This record gives sequence, C-alpha cells and structure tokens, in this order.
Amino acid sequence: MKKLALILLAFAASLPAQELDSHKLLNPGTDSWPTFNGDYSGRRYSTLAQINQTNVGSLTLAWAFQSRSQGSFTSMPLVVNGIMYATLPDQVFAIDARTGRQIWHFQRPSQGGGNRGVAMYKDRLIFTTPDAHVICISARDGKQIWQIQIADPAFKGFASMAPLVIRDHVLVAGSGDAADLPGFLLSLDPMTGQTQWRWDSEPKPGEPGSETWPQDSDVMSRGGGMLWLTGTYDPELNLTYWGTGNPHPVENSEARPGANLYTCSIVALNPDTGKLVWYFQPSPHDTHDWDTNMTPVLFDANFKGKPRKLLAQAGKEGLFFVLDRTNGKALVSAPLGDSDWYSGWDERGQPIPRKEAEPQPDGALVHSAITLWNAPSFDPQTGLFYVNERDWINVYYLTIPGKKAQGWAGRDFTVVGKPFLKALDYQTGKIKWSKEGTGRGGGSSGILTTAGHLLFTADTSGNLVALDPATGKTLWHTYPGAAMGSAPMTYELDGRQYVVTPVEGVIYAWALPAR
Amino acid sequence: MKKLSLMLLVIFAAALVVRAQDDAPQGAAAASQKQAQAEAVERGRKQFVGTCAACHGEDATGGRGPDLIRSSIARHDKGGDLLGPVITGGRPDRGMPNFPFNDSQVGDLVAFIKAQIALFDLHTRTPGAYPNDIPAERLASGSVEAGKAYFYGAGGCAKCHSPTGDLAGVAGKYTPVDLQTRLLYPAGKLPNATVKLTSGETLTGVLQLNDGSYVAIKDKDGWYHSWPRGAVKDLKVEDPLAAHVELLHKYTNADMHNLFTYLVTLK
Repeated sequence: MKKLALILLAFAASLPAQELDSHKLLNPGTDSWPTFNGDYSGRRYSTLAQINQTNVGSLTLAWAFQSRSQGSFTSMPLVVNGIMYATLPDQVFAIDARTGRQIWHFQRPSQGGGNRGVAMYKDRLIFTTPDAHVICISARDGKQIWQIQIADPAFKGFASMAPLVIRDHVLVAGSGDAADLPGFLLSLDPMTGQTQWRWDSEPKPGEPGSETWPQDSDVMSRGGGMLWLTGTYDPELNLTYWGTGNPHPVENSEARPGANLYTCSIVALNPDTGKLVWYFQPSPHDTHDWDTNMTPVLFDANFKGKPRKLLAQAGKEGLFFVLDRTNGKALVSAPLGDSDWYSGWDERGQPIPRKEAEPQPDGALVHSAITLWNAPSFDPQTGLFYVNERDWINVYYLTIPGKKAQGWAGRDFTVVGKPFLKALDYQTGKIKWSKEGTGRGGGSSGILTTAGHLLFTADTSGNLVALDPATGKTLWHTYPGAAMGSAPMTYELDGRQYVVTPVEGVIYAWALPAR
Repeated sequence: MKKLSLMLLVIFAAALVVRAQDDAPQGAAAASQKQAQAEAVERGRKQFVGTCAACHGEDATGGRGPDLIRSSIARHDKGGDLLGPVITGGRPDRGMPNFPFNDSQVGDLVAFIKAQIALFDLHTRTPGAYPNDIPAERLASGSVEAGKAYFYGAGGCAKCHSPTGDLAGVAGKYTPVDLQTRLLYPAGKLPNATVKLTSGETLTGVLQLNDGSYVAIKDKDGWYHSWPRGAVKDLKVEDPLAAHVELLHKYTNADMHNLFTYLVTLK
C-alpha cells in the first residue's frame, strides 16, 4: 500500500502543469491553438489533413458545449494542453477539448456585450471586459490574479478584443467611438498588469503625421482610431501588425480635413518599444466608419517570381491590399467588389476618396464592397486569400455638420448588401472564384483553411459548410440552428482532428466517426 | 451651419427623451415617469439657455466655457452629486460664477445635460426613433418636377407603381429616412419560385430557402413545403424587386433626391 502510494505520488509529481510553453506561441503544432488566430501569422491555415476531401462527408458531432447563457460566442476559443478556453462577455469557460465537459467557469458581471477571447501567458489567461478592464486569471482554476482599467465607460469606452502575447508583453486596446476618444495600444506586464509602453493612434502636435489633421483645433487629440481586433506578429522582423479604426468625429469630413493619420491604417510596431516603424492607410480621411481593423495576414510567398515577406488585408472599406511587410510598400491594391467611393489610387497605392461620396445632410448613395471583422484565411496550398464580403449599398447622412461636430456626426442605412465568399489571387488581387450567398441577411462568418484541401466557414443561410478551396464547391454542410458569428478553428488530440464552430451559445466540435 | 446643427440637435434631443424611455416597463406609472423626465429636461433646457448657454453653448458643447459633453464631471455625475456643487458653488478659480439654484432647478439642469450627453453618444446603428427622425424637409432637397419626370420616365417606376394607387399617401406611412431607403429598395419582399419536381409536379409560391441543399416555399394558401435539392428538377426564381436592384446601379444622388422630393408630396 505504501509502495503504491509512493508510486502514485511519484506519478502525480511528474504530471506537468498545463501552462503554455512560450515556444508554442512560435510553433503551435497541431495539438494546440494558443492565440486568437491559431498562430502569429493570422493565416488561419492548419496543416492538419486527417479530415480531408475524401472523408469530410462523414464528419460527425464529437461533442457540443452548452454555455447555458444569454450571450453569443463571438470569440475564438484557444486550445492548450487539451483544454479549451472560450469566452462570452465577462465570462470564461475552461472546457475539456476531448469531451466538451466544463472544467471551470469564471464570471464577473458588468455592462455591455462582445468579447473575442482570451490570450494565454504561461499559466495565466488575460482578457478584456465590456467595462473596459483587462483581467488576468489563473488557467488552472479561473481565480483572478489582477485587473486594471484601460478606458472610461462614462465616455463610452469598452473593450472586447483578445489580447496578443509577444514574449513578456501583453498587447491590448480599448474600443468606443461615441465620445471622441483617442485610440491606443498598450503593452502590459503579464505578471502585474502594469503598462510597459503605450502607442497612440494619433501623433502629438508637431510629430510626423500631425500635418494630416487641422492645425486650428484639437480634434487630433481625440481623433479615434481604436485598435479593436487582435494583431499579428513576425518574430523574424520583430514587428507586430495592427489595423486601426475610424477617425472621430465619425462620418463628418469638415471637422477634420486631412488624411487623419494613423486612423484607418495598418501599422507596424516594434513590440518591445511600441515605436511605429511604418504605416499604410487603406481609408484616408475616412467618413464612412470603415475601420481598417481587419486581420493583417502574414505569409511568405513568391511574388512575381521573387520570394517576399507579405502582408495581405481585406478591410471594411472593401479593398484588398498586399504589402511588403518589411516596409509597408503596396504591391497590390484592388477592390473586393463593387465600389464607387474612390476615384483611383495615390502614389502609395492608397485609394483617393471621392468628395461626393461623403455623407450629406440629404443623404449620399454609396456603393461599397465591405468585409467585417470575421476572420479571412490564406491557404498556401492554393495561394488564395479567402474573405466573406458584401456588396453594400448604403445611404450616408451627415447629421451634425460643421467643425464643432462630436461623436457620431452621421448616420448610415444599408439599402441592400449582397453577400459573397471570394477567393483572391494574392499576386494580382483578381478574384479567382466567387460564391454568392444564399441569404441576403444573416451574419458574416470567419474562415479556416486546412491541409486537407478544405475551407470551413458558414454560409448566409446559416449552414456550416466545408468547401473545396480551389473551386468553392460545397463538400459538407449542416445547419447548427443559428449563424456562426465567430470562426472555425481546429486541433488534433489523441490522433483525432476536431473542427470547432462556436454558434450563438453552443460550441460544436466536429470529427470523423470514432473508430 | 451652426444654426442648422443646433436646430437638428434640438429636434433629436426631443426624440431622444422618448427613445431613452423605451426600455422602461409599460404602464401608467412608467408613462407618467417618462413624461416627468421629459418635462425636467425641457425645464432644464430653458434654464440652461437662459443661464449657462452664454459660456457653455446652447447645446452644451462649450464656447467660452468648457464643453460639457466631454466633461468628466458631467459624465461621472450621479443625480447631481458632482454637477450640483459646481453649479451652486461656482468655480471662482476658472472664472465661473455661482448660481443660487435650488435642488429641483439643479435636478432639471442635470437632466438636460445628461440628455445632451446621451444624444451625442448615440451610435448610428442604435435601434430606436432617433436616426429615423431626420426631417423630410432636409431630405427633400431635389425638385418635385424632376422627380415626377424620373418616376414616369427614366426610372420606369410607373410600370409597377401609381401615385394614386399603391403609393397613395405613401409619405404618411413611413418616416422620412425609411421612405428614402424603401424607395431605393423595399427590403422584405421574398422572391417568387416555380418548383418543378422530379416527380413531374409543379408548385409555385414564395421562396423561403434555397441554400444549395434544400428548397422551400410557402404556397398561396400559406402552407410550407420543402424538398432536398435533388428532388427538384427545375427551379425558377423571380425577384419582384429586380427593377429596384437594376435602378440601384443607375441612380445618381440627384435622382434619389428628386424622387424622394416627389414622393413626399404624396400625402
């Protein structure tokens, strides 16, 4: 008996802690999904191929997790050491990634909605809340370790994004564009929550970029440009890439003549210092609330015969850009769909907005392709970039004209939005194939591609689908009862590949039938 | 320009008071509370315009004095706990005199300032009355004659619509923004479908689902039918809004404004 106990003790002592090995962030492997996008690149491409074109038709439900909560999953679950971490606003669930059984549940009521997931640092989880706090809890049991406030809810500040961990930096930002707040990105100490550096979306007076704001007002000091979607990271270049949101006041041109840097921009920052290395602006002088927060997707590939370090982004303004991510130079600038709000490209490859498309007191009719935050994917096997897009027709009204405008100074109403899933050639921006959505309304869903020659997403009728990424042909579909607001992710445990789809309050895990 | 913006704000603020109460429980008590709140805001507005507006602007966005929409004190105030002492005690160090208002007057002023903040904080896609309250006069910037000419001519609207038939009184049926959006595309009308089954049967109805795997319609009696796509030999879908979709790619802003200006005359 004593011997057995000793053996047991020795065995117990040898069980590893379930913390995240920092190397896993650089090389996640197939058994984990340790960051918002699965890895630092934001490609949302998995090398798993157990589920593939030959067998995807027999995909079956492995398990379902019921949150039993009002909230809807708009988050990306992480999987580390066989444990899934998923969030609803103010809630974190630890779930057995093999069985779907809940391990623990963290809840901290506040006001508001929307959360996109946790970040993991060693044995800790870090996430943001609707009342603009950043909270660090233990991954073992969900006990709170620290919390800090990063914006003021009285000024409509909130936070929803999943933080990004780079070495000993937790990169996180707040949101809110009702009350003219300045945008920022913070780097926090994962041990204490203390700020290591802060990057502001707007320059200070006299700094480069300040010339793109009016000099006779202080509008630049609260010019918006929120960073509300998780960025990406290139460890070789040691640069982290983020998209910034729309300028404030929103949808009013007169109050802020100029390009309004660095709003509606892709920015490359040094993660150790927060210093800006380069920028590119997909929506200069934005007057349509076209955030450019969408994931800057990183991949290395041949471009016109030469190997290049590339960054591709499809933004809310409905344009597709491929940049050299060492310097931000545009290699491809192309429309995702039908757009009439810009007249051409400037010398940097940025669009030149048309004055007539700006919001007007009596309404301006604007055609614009659009994509929302739901993740795109780059599949290195096909060389195609996939994005769910809508050809939107909106009327934009200027409701608070003049230089004194504040907050939401315009209103926009969607007349119609025809949905498409599009596959773009990264070397030309040309659309290789396009699949029109079967519904007119519904949500937009994110995308996952895998080495099994599969593309997982949801269509606009609410079906979960697996498509052939080369052609768009549907190979598997099922109706989960509601639209998937988030995106699919995948991992392999015990030799079994799971594809996970969060749908409203339920997480479904799909797999091939158990042998 | 400023006058216009002020006027608009006043209109919108009034709408906001109504909107802000939408969440409140229904019933006589709630209605009277709503009314009381609206009256407090209105009393507060009058007091504000008479006493405070000279420095803080009629819409509370500031002037000689600070912008109260962006004031931390105003934003964090709960029932006058922060604003009250500033109003009654003044801020002599910053040149603001004190105003000997009583508690109920302070309450009215706070109600007005809070309503102004809520107004400015409204998000464009917040559901409710406010965004739809853009007055028709603002949207009717075109010409009735040109709109009518477009209706009977280039637009081809008269092929399906008549100002004395289906469009009689249309201006009174919708808010101005809804009318403008709906004249462009009256969303909600589902396509008609003719379904020829492999069994040889043909059915017609309103299309409910056509997702590549299944087809579903509702027939003229209101009954729902669905089939696997494989059981459908031929599917013809007719969009009753096809003419609207086609026009959406032809409209200029002037066409839209002229057409709206004409349609608002159909009272």
